Amino acid sequence: MAAVLAPPDDEPVLQLEDVVKTYVMGSEEIHALSGVSVSIEENEYVAIMGPSGSGKSTLMNIIGCLDVPTSGRYSLGGEMVDDKSEAELADIRNRMIGFIFQTFNLIPRADILHNVELPLIYGGVGRAERKARAMSALDRVGLANRVSHKPNELSGGQRQRVAIARALVFDPQIILADEPTGNLDSRTGAEIMQMLDELHANGQTIIIVTHEDDIAAHASRSILLRDGKIETDTINPNPVRSAAAGG
Amino acid sequence: MRALVDIRESLNIAVSAIWANKARGVLTTLGIVIGIVAVTTTMTAFNGMQSAFRQSAAAVGADVVYVSRMPWIIMGNWWEFRNRPNLNMDEAEALREAFEGEAIVNPTMDTRQDLKYRSEIMEGVTVIGTTEKLPIVTSRLPETGRFLMTYDVSYKKNVVVIGTTVAEGLFGTTSPINKEMNIGPAKFRVIGVMEKQGGNTFGGPDFDRQVFIPISTYVKVYGGRHFGDVDIAVKAPSPDAVEDLEYEVIGEMRKIRKLRPAEDNDFSINKLDSLMGAFNSVVGVVLLVGLLVTSIALFVGGIGVMNIMFVSVTERTREIGIRKAIGARRHSILLQFLLESAIICLIGGLIGIGLATLVTFGINASGMMPASVSPGILVTSVVIAMVVGVFAGFVPAWKGARLDPIEALRYE
Repeated sequence: MAAVLAPPDDEPVLQLEDVVKTYVMGSEEIHALSGVSVSIEENEYVAIMGPSGSGKSTLMNIIGCLDVPTSGRYSLGGEMVDDKSEAELADIRNRMIGFIFQTFNLIPRADILHNVELPLIYGGVGRAERKARAMSALDRVGLANRVSHKPNELSGGQRQRVAIARALVFDPQIILADEPTGNLDSRTGAEIMQMLDELHANGQTIIIVTHEDDIAAHASRSILLRDGKIETDTINPNPVRSAAAGG
Repeated sequence: MRALVDIRESLNIAVSAIWANKARGVLTTLGIVIGIVAVTTTMTAFNGMQSAFRQSAAAVGADVVYVSRMPWIIMGNWWEFRNRPNLNMDEAEALREAFEGEAIVNPTMDTRQDLKYRSEIMEGVTVIGTTEKLPIVTSRLPETGRFLMTYDVSYKKNVVVIGTTVAEGLFGTTSPINKEMNIGPAKFRVIGVMEKQGGNTFGGPDFDRQVFIPISTYVKVYGGRHFGDVDIAVKAPSPDAVEDLEYEVIGEMRKIRKLRPAEDNDFSINKLDSLMGAFNSVVGVVLLVGLLVTSIALFVGGIGVMNIMFVSVTERTREIGIRKAIGARRHSILLQFLLESAIICLIGGLIGIGLATLVTFGINASGMMPASVSPGILVTSVVIAMVVGVFAGFVPAWKGARLDPIEALRYE
């Protein structure tokens, strides 16, 4: 199903080489990332873990093109992104990355359909195509019957499903989920994880930033950050799969 | 395509944001409303004064030189003019002979008299003694009946042509033609009613509250052949000839008055130009005051809008973060807030022109001057309102557009 624009087989979807991010706070220099190199292949399911202050948020912001490295190289979908302008970064976020946030981050005044349409709007897609694609994305997350509801009329799990539909709608290179179950009870969290598992099964590349081991257990690879460096990068041979229909 | 989608989305957001904060929006527009009322009313007043002036100007005539004892607009020391001799009928006659076949010369004298028809009385109406040439000089014509004719003047007929205010005041709805009325001590027969002139401008003469009688009859009834204060109008054959005519008139008058070269003129030459100068200075003051009030109101209004736009941007910091994260460029965010601010001001502008139209009706009804709102004024006002909106919205919108998406997403 997933019509991901695949880069050539031998090239990773995403590659970071010796990425450094330094912030200046007052007179102090803070090394959020000090030399991170990682490459992620198409259809990988990666968990980025680490305690707070380990640099995982910074890494996520860089991967998500919300921030640029102080030094080092970053390529996404075969394109170098570390020297892009702000407008070009906006376009990359628009087309190549699907964000899923802990707090859902839907626009409260807009209805569900409009929320899902937003990336297409900023991508300049015409009205008819926009509506069709948004409807199909909402259909995939099982919310096609709620299109005219406002976010505050939905449960947390439903809101996160809307966010997933919004992340999917432009067929992004990667789905970048930041603590996607952090604001949900465990049952709803399991539903969301099941949905991500299914997307992965359909060929989607997924990166989850989390500090919860049982969430990371869904991923087939887990990267642990500490003090701005990758401490371990391990393959998980037996990723957890939620007991789907029963759950 | 992309720009169009972008604009539509920005418009969408702007409208729904304003709709979500209706009360705040209305309060915010108050300053703009006042500013736009000031703009529109100033322009309307300016238009009204101009059209009032055009009416007076038509009555004066652009191609007419008036010889009078006093200048219309006295600049300098009034005492210098005080001892001048009146112009009299003999001098008017001499001037007429001098310009025979060259220019039309029409003398007038005026006084105030009480008018009476049956039990109706009008007090202090301007009675003008003149000749059959008045319509040629001033382009004022009778609406019904006829104006004075040569034989009325030659035979000192007791006939009168009345203004519309007089006709309504004395005769009501009945036709005044051929009715006998009293002007002061004498009886006159009404032979015509003048066209309505309208507009009593800045305390100038009310052209509709006048009556015209032959100047010969005037002298017979009210006296003043040798000492009455005559105004002499000399009409140039074309507007271009006014300048030359003015010098010729001065020359002839000096001859008639037997002035030696060293002596100053003891009469005044008046033209439309001299009124124009006075008019322009009045209009200048009105415009200046209007402009000042307007700019202050719009400035204060603009600051109000800017303030509320800062609030709007801060309130929606997180929304800006979300939009940027999913691909909104800076200019999309900028456009969103600029449109919001422009629409707030547009609403203020529309309310403003609505109120200004009411004010204009009020001015018209009060009869101070003819005021009219033109489509041009309305469009200009609305454009001004939107320009204020864009200026007031720019700094807040820029602040929103420049927000760092990471910071904005973290904002609670």
